[in-house]
Amino acid sequence: MTTAPAAQGATIEVRDLTKTFGSFTAVDQLTFTVEPGRITGFLGPNGAGKTTTLRMLLGLVHQTSGTATIDGRAYGDIDHPQSMVGSALEATNFHPGRSGRDHLRVLAAAGGLPVSRVDELLELTGIPAAARKRAGEYSMGMRQRLGLAAALLGDPRVLILDEPSNGLDPEGIRWLRGFLRHLSSQGKTILVSSHQLQEVEQTVDDVVIISNGRLVREGAVSDLRGAPTTFVRTSDPAQLAGALRVADVMSSPGSDGELVVETADLRLVGDVALRAGLPVWELRARKHDLEALFFELTEGTNRNLGDGSSAPPAPTERDAVTGQEGANA
Amino acid sequence: MMVNSIRSEFLKFFTTRLWWGLAIAMFFGGALFAVILGIVLTLEPDPEAVARGQQVVGTPLQVANSVYTAGLTIGYTLTLVIGIMQIGSEYRHKTVSSTFLSTPRRVRVMLAKVVALLGIGAIYGLISLVGSVVAGAIVLQARGADPFPGPEVLRALALSLLVLGLWALIGLGVGILIPNQVAALLIAVGVAWIIEPLAGFALGFWEFGRDHIVHFLPSQATNAIVEGVTQGGSNAAQPLSWWAAALVLAAYAAVLSAVGTWRTVRQDIS
Repeated sequence: MTTAPAAQGATIEVRDLTKTFGSFTAVDQLTFTVEPGRITGFLGPNGAGKTTTLRMLLGLVHQTSGTATIDGRAYGDIDHPQSMVGSALEATNFHPGRSGRDHLRVLAAAGGLPVSRVDELLELTGIPAAARKRAGEYSMGMRQRLGLAAALLGDPRVLILDEPSNGLDPEGIRWLRGFLRHLSSQGKTILVSSHQLQEVEQTVDDVVIISNGRLVREGAVSDLRGAPTTFVRTSDPAQLAGALRVADVMSSPGSDGELVVETADLRLVGDVALRAGLPVWELRARKHDLEALFFELTEGTNRNLGDGSSAPPAPTERDAVTGQEGANA
Repeated sequence: MMVNSIRSEFLKFFTTRLWWGLAIAMFFGGALFAVILGIVLTLEPDPEAVARGQQVVGTPLQVANSVYTAGLTIGYTLTLVIGIMQIGSEYRHKTVSSTFLSTPRRVRVMLAKVVALLGIGAIYGLISLVGSVVAGAIVLQARGADPFPGPEVLRALALSLLVLGLWALIGLGVGILIPNQVAALLIAVGVAWIIEPLAGFALGFWEFGRDHIVHFLPSQATNAIVEGVTQGGSNAAQPLSWWAAALVLAAYAAVLSAVGTWRTVRQDIS
């Protein structure tokens, strides 16, 4: 398994997936596709139904209707699930009295994988020594790495991670980003959930954004960003706008006396300004504010915050999933 | 593969500190009760009490069997605890998600637990019996009683082992049925130690209950498997034969596990 050429990814397909808890619809007719060789961000505010969707995809929660398949099969029908799908759902899924290494040994045994694979993964995730301590003493970052190691045990074609950067320090987030990049370059399918677009913006190629259990946007991150623009500040914006128009570049005045130019070519804007004899006080590529867009897409409709009139007392996502279990914790 | 799932279950048990804590408890539990009974049953009988029928004088075999199985109640309580925790700790620490992710066929997981618990129950049963026999034999020898009156002693020990294994399975059944580990432990031990003996006592005053219900209670069935010196008044129910009693315990384990498994397969795991 370890010497074989890099495993090809597999497509995740979710079709009309619905889950209701009593009268509460956690996931509503959700349809999306996750392609191999790309990192897909599964985004939505807390309580949007992300975890419930992932758990249905993994056969832990039974859907009310619709289908969720990986490589054309439901999770429960996959013969060797660990070599097809690796998943890390919650950073707390460890017995506090069992060492991280033993946790992996238990999982490896269930999949018929050798113990050598366990040590390989601990090495790869950078926790070989720490994993011999009992899991109750682990930091959040350590738990995330251990969860990732568990997910990768069977060298899966598909990787599903629920909020993997939760609790990681900036250094850990950078490490995770590089790690996921590396895995996706091997052709694996990677689905990463997050409640913050900002957090995964630089990591993901595609996004699936949901809100209130429904799909609100699906596509490449680059499409989400829209056309690039440039931000320039000068003494006479109107004159510069005219000069730019002559050079066939459109622009519009910004809110604070600056000029927003519809190009990514900073040098062109600078050259035009020089020829027009205008001073350039500020010139930079304008970053599209994805966070604002994300908020726009999902805002105002959040059932969990509620406006007090429409929604019945809405349980949070975790409560909805947990149901009666919540009382047992 | 079934074998992989069973191996995984054994690893789960032997990778936390529970295993050696319970091993120590079972060994010394068995030894302690054997010593106590070894002393009590070798006291000089009071002739007056014997004459009035208040005290039964056992044969050497009955005495030896009683001593060696004295720790059985504590023993089966502990295997009951092991059975509950083998599934209960998975719900408590949410490792049940990882378990079902690596083995999505939940019935297979539960079957693997049953097989693993039979093995674990046997290992811990042996530990308990070694404690009982070593301590009990020393005490009986010291007090002038015969520590090995006949091969029937071995029969009693083998049946004790069966009891300990069956109670581990009953524990698993309870643990599957009551996913809250703490509640499952309290309920199971409470029923086994308090509610059931009281129910058995109360039913003894009701003729139908005494004749048709009492001996199907788990602790009564357990006593029927390993009969020692029976000490009961006129209200005592007639015990079942050992194999019928073993079937009764197996039936408890099977029904509890089956209902629990049926529910687990349908349940949403979060």
